[in-house]
Order: sequence, then structure tokens, then C-alpha cells
Amino acid sequence: MLQKTGCMESDVTNPSICGCMARRLGAIGVVVAAVVLALAWTAKPAAAAGPDAQCLTCHSMPGLTMPLPDGESLPLTIPADAFDHSIHGPLGCTGCHTDIGLPAHPAAVPVIKNKREFSLKMVEACQTCHAQQSKRWQTSVHAALVRDGNVVAPVCTSCHSPHAVRKGVAEAIDTVPCKTCHAAIFTAYTGSVHGMLRSGGVTQAPLCFNCHGAHAVRVPSEVQGLKDTCLNCHKNAVQAHSTWLPNVDLHFNVVACTACHVPNAHRRVDLVLFDATTQKAVPAAEGVPQFQGPDGSSMTARPGLDPQTLFNLLQSLNRPGVPDKTVIQGRLEVSTALEAHQIVPAAAAISDCATCHRAGANAFQSVVVTVAGPAGIPIRYGANKDVLSSAFSIASIGGFYAIGGTRITILDAIVMLALLAGIGFPIAHGSMRIFFSHLLNHRQHDRRKG
Amino acid sequence: MQRVYVHPLPVRIWHWTNAAGCSTLALTGLQIRYIGTINVVPFRIAVQIHNWAGFIIIANFFLWFLFYLTSDRIRAYLPDLHPVRYFREAMQQALYYSYGVFRGLPNPHHVSKYHLFNPLQAMTYQLMMLVLLPLQGFTGVLLWNLTGFAGIVAVFGGVRVIDTVHVLIFAVFLFYIPFHAYLGTMGHTPLADYKAMWDGYEEVEEDERVDVGE
Repeated sequence: MLQKTGCMESDVTNPSICGCMARRLGAIGVVVAAVVLALAWTAKPAAAAGPDAQCLTCHSMPGLTMPLPDGESLPLTIPADAFDHSIHGPLGCTGCHTDIGLPAHPAAVPVIKNKREFSLKMVEACQTCHAQQSKRWQTSVHAALVRDGNVVAPVCTSCHSPHAVRKGVAEAIDTVPCKTCHAAIFTAYTGSVHGMLRSGGVTQAPLCFNCHGAHAVRVPSEVQGLKDTCLNCHKNAVQAHSTWLPNVDLHFNVVACTACHVPNAHRRVDLVLFDATTQKAVPAAEGVPQFQGPDGSSMTARPGLDPQTLFNLLQSLNRPGVPDKTVIQGRLEVSTALEAHQIVPAAAAISDCATCHRAGANAFQSVVVTVAGPAGIPIRYGANKDVLSSAFSIASIGGFYAIGGTRITILDAIVMLALLAGIGFPIAHGSMRIFFSHLLNHRQHDRRKG
Repeated sequence: MQRVYVHPLPVRIWHWTNAAGCSTLALTGLQIRYIGTINVVPFRIAVQIHNWAGFIIIANFFLWFLFYLTSDRIRAYLPDLHPVRYFREAMQQALYYSYGVFRGLPNPHHVSKYHLFNPLQAMTYQLMMLVLLPLQGFTGVLLWNLTGFAGIVAVFGGVRVIDTVHVLIFAVFLFYIPFHAYLGTMGHTPLADYKAMWDGYEEVEEDERVDVGE
């Protein structure tokens, strides 16, 4: 039966599982069906009624699994009570599993190559009712990773337990699904001012989705994303900072909130290559030699772009005939996502300007150059910190400068030379005037005496 | 010695305001650029003082400009349109500063109402007052509000270009301020020019008064 319903199509599209594989799957199906039917006689009655009761007769049995061709097992046990009380309960089993024909089940189940493929396939079922959420998910970093072939990037069922979905579960700090994959970051969050407030029952304090979005999940470090996210709640932040912070708008544009509000974090300068017209990050420039190793591989693992190479890169991108010019916009941010979540109360944030505005400040010891990767996910290339203080930076990094902190070295030499000359010349000339004045006086005195 | 009134009150007010303002800007500029090495006042305070001093200097510049535009004393700033004579007098003045002053020779320049500056002074002041100071004020205002003037900053190539111009002119002022103060001691007595810029009267030799009262 399996061979007939499931594998006929696969035989055409994927020869690797035809023939003996199909026969194996058929045998597995028969074994599963026999086991299910045998166990069904001894199973407890399901909580659901109607057609679902028929399904749950077998699928409420503990330990029911289906062996898959890749060696994994697909759990088939459905928590009957949880499903009955879930939001999906009224839909019934066939509300989502539309491809399962009960009369021929269980033998006539579609071929499932592996659990991942099954999860991806069930996304289509979710889209039937949750079209808007699905549309937003398609714009997310998670969906981009899925499209990029990432096998652990979350799909609907990764975050929402489909057979026990209940309102509010994904929004509570104890059950928020993000921590399943982002455990370390969640731990950092729980120690932050946001996490502590949320744990303390302050529901206005943000949980993961408040900043990152629930379905259209974004990487907040994407250019202005995080600042805007913070300002969604901290609406008077600009005004509050303007009482003491010079050039407040500029600071908000080029300094990520976390750069000051996570005082112990390692900071770095992110130089983003922007299209001057569209104001969007430019994609990784294929064919631009600076982005490619000798063998065409990515430069990510190499020591970093030096000032002249970065300058040459801009020249390459802005060569004559290229209509859209590329510029660099810089941004000071924390180095890791983990640190970005360790936000402290405002009173403990950095407010000493010298932290960043002195020479050799830690904030400017790490530099990356960022381009937009597939689906807009930033791709970062290491850069030498000298790109910030080299004379080349005047032409290449026009959009990022921190007084004192990223000052251009050769200008320091000119300033010192001017100061020394301004003080030294009067001292030298004045000394000579005094000396010759005494000499003249002596001569006049001698003449008078003579 | 004859006392000649060559520095009217508005000019003297402008001069000393400019002197105080530019010195403040230079000192706070050094503090801002070299915070960590120079820590006289906190960075934030230095920035605030620098901003206020900058706006005072800009306002002061316009007062000076308006005064000279509406006064016949503007002749002191007008360039000599006789290049040969200008070059000859400039060389004489340079020779005096580099040699004559040590030998006790008289200053070849004679101060008067409309002939206030020697050729080297005139060239320096024209450059400082009509080029560098306005340019420094312009770049300073852009740096004061980079977001508000983002469009203009972008036209000139970005904040680093603006800052580099600002710092290069700053270097010129760092040289000029002590140098100018020193040259003020080269009157017939070390404090004669300072006194003149305070009360308005230059003391000149009787036979030096060439165009007084023109």
C-alpha cells in the first residue's frame, strides 16, 4: 500500500529511494500498522469524541513511533487531554492532517523521509489558517535560514507544540519557546533588567518577541533595528538623553543602545557598506577581489581588511560607470548577541564620555565590515582597527568618527608640530631679541665709555 | 611720541573677545581631542564650553564684519593692488623681523589710521579673518549638529572630511595664537601694542605720522 500511494511519486523524483527502499518502507508500514492495531485493543479510551476518538485510539498510546528511512523515529503519540484542551482541539485531527485517509490508515501514510521534511511539510497546513503569521514568518531570519538549507532553523512546530497549543504559552517567561534554541542568550536575558522585571511579574518588561518579533523574527543588530526596537517602549529616551548627551541624535544613530547599557560588554565598530541611494546594506560584492580569497573562498577567516584594502574596496565598488554609489556607515555595538542581552538598569549604564572618546578606547579595538548576505542576514568581515585612524579613512569611512577615540594619527602629528612651532618660534626669536638687545646695549655703553 | 587713535572701541571689544574666545576654543579643543591625556575639565563640560565659545566667536565675527563694511576703516584690510610695491614692503618687513630687529633697526612699517598693518600682517589677517575663521566656524557648526546638517556633511564627503578640515585649521590657530601674542611684543616697548589695543592709541614717532587724520 505504501509503495502505491507514497512512493510512486518519489520513484520519479528521487531515484535514491525507489526499488528496495520502497519495499523497505512498505515493510515498515506493515509492521507499524500491525503494532498499532495490536496495541489498539488494549488502549485506554481517548478523551476526544467523534472521528478524533478513532485516531486517538491508537495515537494516545505512549511510545508510539514510526521508524524513518534515515534511522530516526517519528513520535506518533498525541497527548489526548492536552489536544482536547488545546486551541486546535476543535479542528480535529484531519483539520491539519488532510492527507491522511482514515479508511486506508495506517497503512496508507505518505512517505516521510525524515522528521525535518515532515515539519517543513506541515508548515503548509499551518498556513491554511494562520496565513498572516505565516506571511510574517516568511520575512523572518528563521525562514531565511530554512531557505538557506539550515536543518535546525525553526518552523511553526518548532515553537508551537501543535497538539497542545494554548493561548499565552509562547508569551510567558517560563514557557517561551525561544529558549529551546537560544538557551545561553535566554540565561543572559533573565539576568538583565528586562528579565528580572519580567520574572517579577512586570508584564510591560519585554520578553523575546517584544524586541525580535513573534513571527517576523529579525536580527536586531541589522542597522537601525535595535535602536528603533528600544524606542518603541522607551519613547522619551532621546529627550532624556538630550539633557546631558551632546549631539544626541548622532549618538542614537551610530551607537547601539546596548553599547552603553551593557557596560561590561566587548564593543566593536560595525562598518556597514550602504547603497547611498537606497540606504540599504549592499550585498556581498561578487567579483570584488577584496572579498575573495585566492581560491575564491570567503575572507571571513582571514586577519582583516587593512586601511588601504578597505579604501581600494570602496574604489572598486564605486568605479566609473557604477550608477549606485556605495558608502560606509559605522555603528558602535556590542560584540556578541549574548552580551547584547545583559542590559543593566539605566543608572549603571556608561555615562562617562571618556570611555569611548579617549585614544585607545576599547570600543574601537574591534572592527568588522558588514555586507548583506542572503535574505539580508549580515555577513561580517574582520577589519584591522587601523582602518579607523588611518588617513585612508578620510575617504573610505566618511560616515563614522568619534572625536578623540578614532582620531586620525597623522593629524595628531600636524597638531603637535603646529603647537610646538607656535610656542617654540616666539621663545627662540624672543631669546635672540633679548640677547642682541643686551649685546647692542653693551656696545653702546662701550662706545660711550670709549 | 605722538598718540594716534587707531583702534576704535568696537574693534577693541571685538579683538579681546576674539582673543579670549579663540584661546578658549583652542584649549577646549585640545582637551576634547586629547581626553585621557589632558583632563582639565570633564569631556562633556569641555564640549559645552567649546560650543558656547564657538557661537560667541561666530557672532563676534559678524559684528566685526558689519563694523568694517560700514566703516571707512575697511581700507586697512583691503589688499594692496600694487604687487611690486606689496612684495617689496613684505620683504622689507620680513628682513626686519629676521635681522633688523636684532640690530636695533627701526620698524619699516609706520602705523596710521588707514595703514594699520604691515604687509605680512595684512596678508595674515586677510587669510585668518576672511578664509580660515569663517571656514572654521562653518565646519564647527556642522560638527555641532551632524544629524541636522547631515545633507551638507554628505555633500562634502562625510564627517571625517569636515573634522579633518576643522583640525587642520585648528593646527593653524594653535600656531597662530602664541605667535600673534608674541608679535604683539614687538612694538617700541614690549607692551606698547597691548596697551594700544586696550586704549585705542598707538604711540608713533612724530615723523612717522604719514596719513594720520586722512
